[in-house]
Amino acid sequence: MTENYQSIGKGVIRKDAWEKAVGKALYTADLPVENLSYGVILRSPHHHARILEIDTSAAVRVPGVQAVITAEDIPGEKVFGPLIQDQPSLAWEVVRHLGEPVVLVIARSLKAAEQARESVKIRYQELEPVFDPLEAVQADAPQLHPDGNVVSEIHVGDGDPEIGFQEADVIVEKTFSLPRISPGYMEPEASLAVWEDDGTVTVWVSSQHPFTDQAAISAALNMPVDRVRVKGAVIGGAFGGKEDSSLAILAALGAWKIQGTVRLVNSRRESFLAHPKRHPAHIHYKLGARKDGTITAVQAEAYMDTGAYASYGPAVAMILTETMTGSYRVPHVRVDTFVVYTNSPLSGAMRGFGSPQTHFAVESALDMLAEKVELDPIQIREKNILHPGDQIFTKVTINDSALALTKCLQKGRELVEEFRAVPTPEGKLSGVGIALAAQSMGLGANVPDDSSHKLEWAPDGSVLIYLGSPDLGQGLAAAAEQITAESLGIPFDQVRSLPLDTLVTPNGNVTCASRMTYLVGNALVDASQKLIQALLKGAGRLLDIPADQLNYQNGMVLKPDGSEIPAVEFISRLAEDSITLEAESTFSFPYPEETTPQHLPIGMPHVLYCFGAQVVRVEVDPDLGTVEVTHLAAIHDVGKVINRLGVEGQIEGGVATGLGYALSETMLRKGESWVDSFTEYLLPTALDLPENYQTIILEVPETSGPYGAKGVGEIPLVPTAPAVANALYDAIQVRICDLPITPEKVLGLNKVS
Amino acid sequence: MKEIKVEFTLNGEKIALQSEPNRTLLDVLRQDLGLTGAKDACGGEGECGACTVIINGRPVNSCLVFIGQVEGQQVTTIEGITPQEGYHPIQKAFVEAGAVQCGYCTPGAVLATKALLDHHPRPSDQQIRAGLSGNLCRCTGYNKMLDAVHLVVKGEQND
Amino acid sequence: MQEFDYLRPRNVAELKENLSQPGARILAGGTDIIPQLRRGKSAPKILVDTSGIRSLRFIEDQGDRVVIGAMTTHQEIAESQLVSDLNPALRIAAESVGSTQTRCRGTLGGNIANASPAADTLPPLLVYEASVLIQNLSGEREVPLESLVIGPGQTALEEGEFIHSISFRPLTGRWGSHFIKVGKRKGMAISVVNAAATVVLDKKGSVSKARVALGAVGPVVIRCRETESSLCGKVPDRKVFEKAGEQAREEVRPITDIRSTEEYRLHAAGVIVARVLEAAAEQARGRMG
Repeated sequence: MTENYQSIGKGVIRKDAWEKAVGKALYTADLPVENLSYGVILRSPHHHARILEIDTSAAVRVPGVQAVITAEDIPGEKVFGPLIQDQPSLAWEVVRHLGEPVVLVIARSLKAAEQARESVKIRYQELEPVFDPLEAVQADAPQLHPDGNVVSEIHVGDGDPEIGFQEADVIVEKTFSLPRISPGYMEPEASLAVWEDDGTVTVWVSSQHPFTDQAAISAALNMPVDRVRVKGAVIGGAFGGKEDSSLAILAALGAWKIQGTVRLVNSRRESFLAHPKRHPAHIHYKLGARKDGTITAVQAEAYMDTGAYASYGPAVAMILTETMTGSYRVPHVRVDTFVVYTNSPLSGAMRGFGSPQTHFAVESALDMLAEKVELDPIQIREKNILHPGDQIFTKVTINDSALALTKCLQKGRELVEEFRAVPTPEGKLSGVGIALAAQSMGLGANVPDDSSHKLEWAPDGSVLIYLGSPDLGQGLAAAAEQITAESLGIPFDQVRSLPLDTLVTPNGNVTCASRMTYLVGNALVDASQKLIQALLKGAGRLLDIPADQLNYQNGMVLKPDGSEIPAVEFISRLAEDSITLEAESTFSFPYPEETTPQHLPIGMPHVLYCFGAQVVRVEVDPDLGTVEVTHLAAIHDVGKVINRLGVEGQIEGGVATGLGYALSETMLRKGESWVDSFTEYLLPTALDLPENYQTIILEVPETSGPYGAKGVGEIPLVPTAPAVANALYDAIQVRICDLPITPEKVLGLNKVS
Repeated sequence: MKEIKVEFTLNGEKIALQSEPNRTLLDVLRQDLGLTGAKDACGGEGECGACTVIINGRPVNSCLVFIGQVEGQQVTTIEGITPQEGYHPIQKAFVEAGAVQCGYCTPGAVLATKALLDHHPRPSDQQIRAGLSGNLCRCTGYNKMLDAVHLVVKGEQND
Repeated sequence: MQEFDYLRPRNVAELKENLSQPGARILAGGTDIIPQLRRGKSAPKILVDTSGIRSLRFIEDQGDRVVIGAMTTHQEIAESQLVSDLNPALRIAAESVGSTQTRCRGTLGGNIANASPAADTLPPLLVYEASVLIQNLSGEREVPLESLVIGPGQTALEEGEFIHSISFRPLTGRWGSHFIKVGKRKGMAISVVNAAATVVLDKKGSVSKARVALGAVGPVVIRCRETESSLCGKVPDRKVFEKAGEQAREEVRPITDIRSTEEYRLHAAGVIVARVLEAAAEQARGRMG
């Protein structure tokens, strides 16, 4: 394949940036509509309670109120959930977490809706709550669901850990605790539903998967899927948190009830309390190695707090489990993972999907091991990292792209040395840390992992992409346009992605799992070829030359005599005959049979991995315990850069989120509630990012990817926290095993007396 | 609660309106005036900067301004700095530097940058970071916003 | 959002009238009260918006005192050369409040009236022994800032009273003042603990006067008087200040809350007291007597 690309690898300007920069981009809350009614949700004030009575009689009398809706009013499915249908759209009988929706109020004005919400009287009988998964699995713990508090469990292994630990000369054993993290997208969840005169409903969503929303709405309203049309508005970030259909269902329910137009917009507080978070987890991690540092065994037990409903918990558990050996060869492995219901806020999908939790344990343990066997952090990793052809404990053979790991580590070594040379200011202690990361791509074996997209060549010569998966803000559309432009040999500016609309867009599947560039790209490369074939067929007919004697190159049709005719001439002629040039393609994530053993649950294993390393230098104030990240280098293999600005943006943003995980973010209990605002939930600000930052992009081609590309969506935040923890240890020999790293913990002053 | 009359200058034009006093400038901009460039991201607590507007040359969170408080003031929104044709140099720089991802924080960050550069035409890195530290962004890690501000200062964005 | 009637006095006389109505409360910058109203934590019947009163917005050198109008914003204080020259601790503190956006709205008077134990502008004012001019329909009184703030969110302001201005006497001789805060992040940081100090040195270089105030370590910002007096006559060096830090720990009563623990606050208070004193002394040493 020639490297002389026109679009691929360039830092192109994404087309949506302009309307966003001038404030004209319309997010769901901005969409102008007529005859709008306002929806507000009455939410549970308790963590766990029995609903004894809901009295809406006063609420319905509030002037302007159009509907006061409870679970009873839902005509179809009253529960939803991506894996297990256990989550009520509106709670009945029992509420299982603070902020759970109970009553939906629709009114002509927001004020009336809020007033009516206050007039709803609900009698609750409080039940004992449980918040910690380790407590929730105890026999005497309050039970949230009829089948007990364990939602799912995974028990996998390879070899015999008992033998592995016998072979070990040293053992590292620690429990790591990971906090509850908010995706922290700037746009809170929103949905707008319009009941149409023909008895269909159109719903605008800020969602990673409008097709799932469509199915969920259809089930809840008990109406055929083809009468539910879901459209994607501009999305203000998602990071996994918008794989949840709850608001789409409620907005549609409201529109159905009043046969009108209803908008629901969550406040930040509602978003904190009722939308999925990154799973808090306890990971008990045991690592054995020989004196020379060779790892012999890993045994891990993980308890994940999925909150009151499963959401994506069981799927998150898979990647959490599979990454338990990180980027390393381990002959003897045993992992036991439990996904547990609690009365905490919901946990579900979030960027990294289990891997950030595990990597904190793995990469911290690696440094602890290095110290015990007197190797440095680079040496211990060199000794144990995966190489192409290695098999990990899920029986997945790591392919040639694992060369990237060695390269990341080599580059990491240089940066460690560079950062060590930075002088330390008086009164501070400095340290340098490194962490590697392996992040799977795709949904996992035996799960439908398809993505369909369509191209249309318009008579004006522009190519339209019916992009079946939404751009969440990360720039998927631009990457899709570049790949299409390259494949068709036409300028980037000539290709345009259309907003998602389930009526006309193929199902591209959920935007998630570091797989979009890969899936969408592959589908569009194929669709481009099909489009060219369709063009040649049409051109052949018009020219009366057999299509197989025509060729296509860079927007031109080549005749057998060597003359060229611009493709657009044929396209417009065909359009006059009402022939639309279009091509659809579905790409399915390849799961080779030999890597999909039957002994694993559906969804396991994942077979393709992204790799990266981050090197961090910290300065610690030993008296105050404050930790400042002064230098950070993010080294990531992306297979092949599609959009340079986009790749850098993904990495830089991921690192910032990783730093939040490391140092400041945690959704703690606060009195009888939870931290539920940005006043206490501390995202990093522009002042909190390291002054010396560099992104280093490696390109080790993934042969099955479009132009050699693979994903980069999740991995940038994965190694950050352990790299910071390792740097901190290097500086002051304090090992923090529970995130976030706070000055209180650094000084051992975090215990409440 | 008695309605109040408020007169102020919005994006260079005098405007008079009637409102209940417990509404914020952000409410009025978005709901009454159709100016949806200012966003609500933190729920009206002044913790995110997505609703930033410029009042009398200073960046402020419009969610923390009751509508009565803008009486007689000069208010500029993202819509107000965008020329009829083309883009403000800061908007251009944000786009070209790759500082726009999901875009939800972008209007606020552009206005915070404008206010910063109006007071400090040649800001240090530290001043830029401080100037943007009231604007939360989850997508970019702020690096490309810094790049964008440097582009504006150097006048290097393409025409 | 809570409902209220809204008044916008154009001058101090109207303000006095407006505030004398029962249930009236001042709306200054709004950065604290608007979120409170949104969360239903405050329910005034009348909000009296003082943002239209130009005469409450000033920073003046009145000879023996620096006077700052209650409606002066944190940003104006942070940018004031006068404040920077005469109370550097206050400038640093004002610059560290919230974000640019909130500094451009939030006012000094509002910060005092809000009476947060973690308020950043209070320690620098306390170490300058600032006083507050309070007015109402029937007159005015001047009280020490220290006696005005009486508890978390509580002041000794009576119904109908408002803060007109805050004043302090500049230090003379070889003096220095400084402010340090420990927050949980660098941008938009709320103080986990903060401290301000002034140090005045005599001709021989010994401490003739020292003032120390600590925030977020008790229900109100606390002047550490024993620490101050223990410094008198001492030759300032790191040891002395570290000891002062230890002494200061005896004078505060921090609590554990969502932001930090009692133990950490106690420890950090001592550390930053030593540092803030050292920085102030360093400044004093560099100043000609």
